[in-house]
Amino acid sequence: MFLALKEIKKEKLRSGLIIAMIVLISYLIFILTSLALGLAQQNTDAIRSWNVDKVVLNADANTDMRQSFLSQQQVGKLTSKEAYIGETTVVAKAKGRKQLSAVFIGLKADQFVAKNVQLTSGRRVRAGHEVVVDEAFKLAGYKLGSRVKLNADETKYTIVGFTKDAKLNIAPAVYGQLSTWRALRGMANGPVASAVVSRNADYKNGRAGTKTYTTDQIIAKLPGYQAQNTTFGMMIGFLMVISLVIIAVFLYILTMQKLPNYAVLRAQGIPSRVLVGATLSQSFILVVSGLIIGSLLAAVTALVVPAAVPMAFDIPALSGVAVALLVMAMLGALVPIKSVLSVDPVSVIGG
Amino acid sequence: MTAISLAGVSQVFGKGTAKVQALTDVNFEAEAGTMTLVMGPSGSGKSTFLTIAGGLLTPTSGEVTVDGTTYSDRTKKERDALRLDAIGFVLQAYHLLPYLTVADQFKLVDKVKPEGNLSKDDLDRILDTLGIEDLVNKYPDELSGGQQQRVAIARALYPDPAIILADEPTAALDSERVAVVGQLLKSLAVDHNKAVVVVTHDVRLVDFADRMYEIRDGQMTLK
Repeated sequence: MFLALKEIKKEKLRSGLIIAMIVLISYLIFILTSLALGLAQQNTDAIRSWNVDKVVLNADANTDMRQSFLSQQQVGKLTSKEAYIGETTVVAKAKGRKQLSAVFIGLKADQFVAKNVQLTSGRRVRAGHEVVVDEAFKLAGYKLGSRVKLNADETKYTIVGFTKDAKLNIAPAVYGQLSTWRALRGMANGPVASAVVSRNADYKNGRAGTKTYTTDQIIAKLPGYQAQNTTFGMMIGFLMVISLVIIAVFLYILTMQKLPNYAVLRAQGIPSRVLVGATLSQSFILVVSGLIIGSLLAAVTALVVPAAVPMAFDIPALSGVAVALLVMAMLGALVPIKSVLSVDPVSVIGG
Repeated sequence: MTAISLAGVSQVFGKGTAKVQALTDVNFEAEAGTMTLVMGPSGSGKSTFLTIAGGLLTPTSGEVTVDGTTYSDRTKKERDALRLDAIGFVLQAYHLLPYLTVADQFKLVDKVKPEGNLSKDDLDRILDTLGIEDLVNKYPDELSGGQQQRVAIARALYPDPAIILADEPTAALDSERVAVVGQLLKSLAVDHNKAVVVVTHDVRLVDFADRMYEIRDGQMTLK
């Protein structure tokens, strides 16, 4: 540590450049991770907020809630742990406001999903022409009391409440009554819901024409969700590997330049472990410094980034990324260790 | 008392047509309290002698004895420890660590070997003798070649070794400094009972020597 700190103090420019490089890499990875998490959350926020374990859909719906219709016979008798969900995509519009593509989610007011919708302002839905909407509507200029039309339906729905983090497949949720969902789908006397959700982990519908899934199975089948996550995962993974290579190259060059000095120290009987310790601790200090500055930059970005940007700064996840980067960097730092261990003190005798 | 001795040491590098006989049946002794010069032209085998005497290279044949024990009876780790405790190298390629001030060069030794090093007064005396007492807060790149050489000498002396092996210690010094360094090495031998072995072709050091060997084409003779 003594040698590492002294070198960093003396070689400020060189150390600063390496730290700057690690800052840029870590900042890029933090931002990409936050974007990946943000987009993933916007795909699943609504479903996660229901806190359900099982979802029953029509067996022919290809695990897509929007394509599912369940009849009264298929639904059967529900307990207090089950609830109806009616889902359909809609376009919300109001005079003087821009149109918003959204997901309408019809709920039954006396069931747990409707009761658990977390409001940030306003009140819950009490009538068929009332809706509670995600705060994305606020960003688009909608307010409590705004009257919106959904699709081509001439009925106007009043926004009576706002809820946050209620998005499904990136689209903001519009919570209303189950009867409204039926009206929007034009099936007043047909199916009773798109899905039945259950808080009971052992729940199984088992009726003909239905299939029971776990919440994770439903999420995995959300359109584009897997592809998006895989893309981000690969980008972050490649960045990790690239950062490993870049950091390893920098540290290798840094160490190779010091080998003549190390040879003298070895000739004087300084143990190899001291030199290895100096190399590793220097790498550790540089990488941790870079990660701390990168984290601070990411934190500042979190404060100033517009709410419309789908970024989620999840501290445990980002801490995991930081630890992974540190591990990768330390693996890179191990590359020149072989050269340090094999430094030949004889080379310094005789000028 | 013999501090270091080489008995029947030979060193061969390479094989076949590339084979080079660097040392042939070298016998050498250096007593505590004396300064011994090993003189010879470039390519005569001086550096090979020094690397073998310092335990950096195991000879093809023969034995090196330090402090009553041969190198072949010591492990690599023990030879490292011996170099740190008992042998002070003054190298021609002094390579001071560029990011350590002069004072930090000594602190590094303290970190690795906390005990048995020179006291602050003794170190100050040596720095004063070498004329570098005002340079303790300077980095190597702020020093001239001669100043760096003198710092390297002080660094080698700091662990208070019983044997000092010096490789052309006056190569970068003017005649006035050669006299100072020669006197210092002689004083270390006589006043501090150290065995000082200097490999050089600098005839200005001859006057300080108690004993002198000549090495030529790998063969050593006592003069």
